[in-house]
Amino acid sequence: MADLSINLAGIKSPNPFWLASAPPTNSGYQVQRAFEAGWGGAVWKTLGDPILNVSSRFAAVSFNGQRVAGFNNIELITDRPIEVNLKEIYETKKRFPNHAIIVSLMVEPKQEKWHEIVKRVEDVGVDGLELNFGCPHGMAERGMGSASGQVPELVERQTFWVKEVATTPVIVKLTPNITDITATAEAAVRGGADAISMINTINSLMGVDLDNWNTIPHVAGKGAHGGYCGPAVKPIALNMVAECARNSRINVPISGIGGISSWQDAVEFMLMGATGVQVCTAAMHHGFRIVEDMIDGLNNYLDEKGIASVSELIGKSVPRYSDWGNLDLNYNIVAKINTDVCINCNKCHIACEDTSHQCIDMLTDTNGNSYLKVREEDCVGCNLCSIVCPVDGAIDMVEVSSDLQPMTWNERQAALNLVAQCKTDVAK
Amino acid sequence: MSEYQQFLVERNKVDFLIQKGYLINNILENLNGSYVDFIHPNDQSKETLHISTANGRKYFSSILIKQNTTSYIKNE
Repeated sequence: MADLSINLAGIKSPNPFWLASAPPTNSGYQVQRAFEAGWGGAVWKTLGDPILNVSSRFAAVSFNGQRVAGFNNIELITDRPIEVNLKEIYETKKRFPNHAIIVSLMVEPKQEKWHEIVKRVEDVGVDGLELNFGCPHGMAERGMGSASGQVPELVERQTFWVKEVATTPVIVKLTPNITDITATAEAAVRGGADAISMINTINSLMGVDLDNWNTIPHVAGKGAHGGYCGPAVKPIALNMVAECARNSRINVPISGIGGISSWQDAVEFMLMGATGVQVCTAAMHHGFRIVEDMIDGLNNYLDEKGIASVSELIGKSVPRYSDWGNLDLNYNIVAKINTDVCINCNKCHIACEDTSHQCIDMLTDTNGNSYLKVREEDCVGCNLCSIVCPVDGAIDMVEVSSDLQPMTWNERQAALNLVAQCKTDVAK
Repeated sequence: MSEYQQFLVERNKVDFLIQKGYLINNILENLNGSYVDFIHPNDQSKETLHISTANGRKYFSSILIKQNTTSYIKNE
């Protein structure tokens, strides 16, 4: 059995699975239930001046039978007084001393406000703080959350104020509602952050009711944008984690968040640089006990790979993530259709013919049976046929050898520039 | 003509000039593709090929990198 424990900027937890700051971590009752189920840590739902919420708060996208492919909320931070939360945090930590309790914080961008809340929260014995610079709705209209998190100077300054008084590790949670998340991640590092976490939710409107033309969700006939999360956002989150992980100026641990629903998702985030992961939507969809499968699956994976500690995964795929200009232009793959598996639905042919490179022929053999065949010389290896194919194993994308040496776009352009500089010499 | 056939034609033209000793001397790239100037180091004779396929552009670029590497080694 592998060692699943992690140490994120000094915050230790028995496994890499934390609950994210959200409705599942609203109270001591919930967090203690989560720890009993096996979660390694929890980021307490954001503390700040208690807010007022609206009724009708969540909405979800179902896609082709999968419930909660994407999830949206317009709920704000805690609506309970800080004394109540702190009492429950203290009790929870006392009962689960080896589990990580991190507390999410959000106050106005004023130094004294940050100093006050940091001191009060740390007094009850938390393992770390997470600064909520990401919540995109409601609080942002008041200059907090993503409104702060979209301005690098504000991220840096507020992080600095927190670090002036904090004695526990400080994680800065970043918003994805920005062109380049590395800009705010770098600002957090400049401000002294011990770690960063990403992503918070993405601005979203889930839909419009075709019968009554109300937004989904709506509050008495009016709607406002919410924060989007769940499996649909995972690729966006994974890219943002990877972009930060490969940035040499962002040299702090990363807590990965965004659509993580399984142990496989967690491994992907860790391979791309996350030290641990935070989960919300999957727990809201399936309950706290999904962590049991996550722990078992991760354990089995590590054992099968012969890996002693989950921490050995961290960042292993980061060197494989680069800019497009560093990809090999002479690397080629082509589609191969396995006719013994293919059911001749022709989806690959239609997709290729209509929207790609017209290289899959519909043929008939000597017995009059239809079959599909790829003209490999015209195949560009786009993967579309294998993506739309409904049958596993019917289409393989296989590498074809090239007589040409690997060549990236950057290498090509450098060569072109060189020949332009040298043409006079050659002519001489 | 399929794009692959077009590429084979362009590759043969490039190979023909390279086998005769020509070197790539200049490349002009625009909306029509690439115009590759070749020069023979002995008699200074010149040839220009219009390369319009993506694979053709990859091909002459690979040859150019090889040419640059060879000339660098010679210069050393």
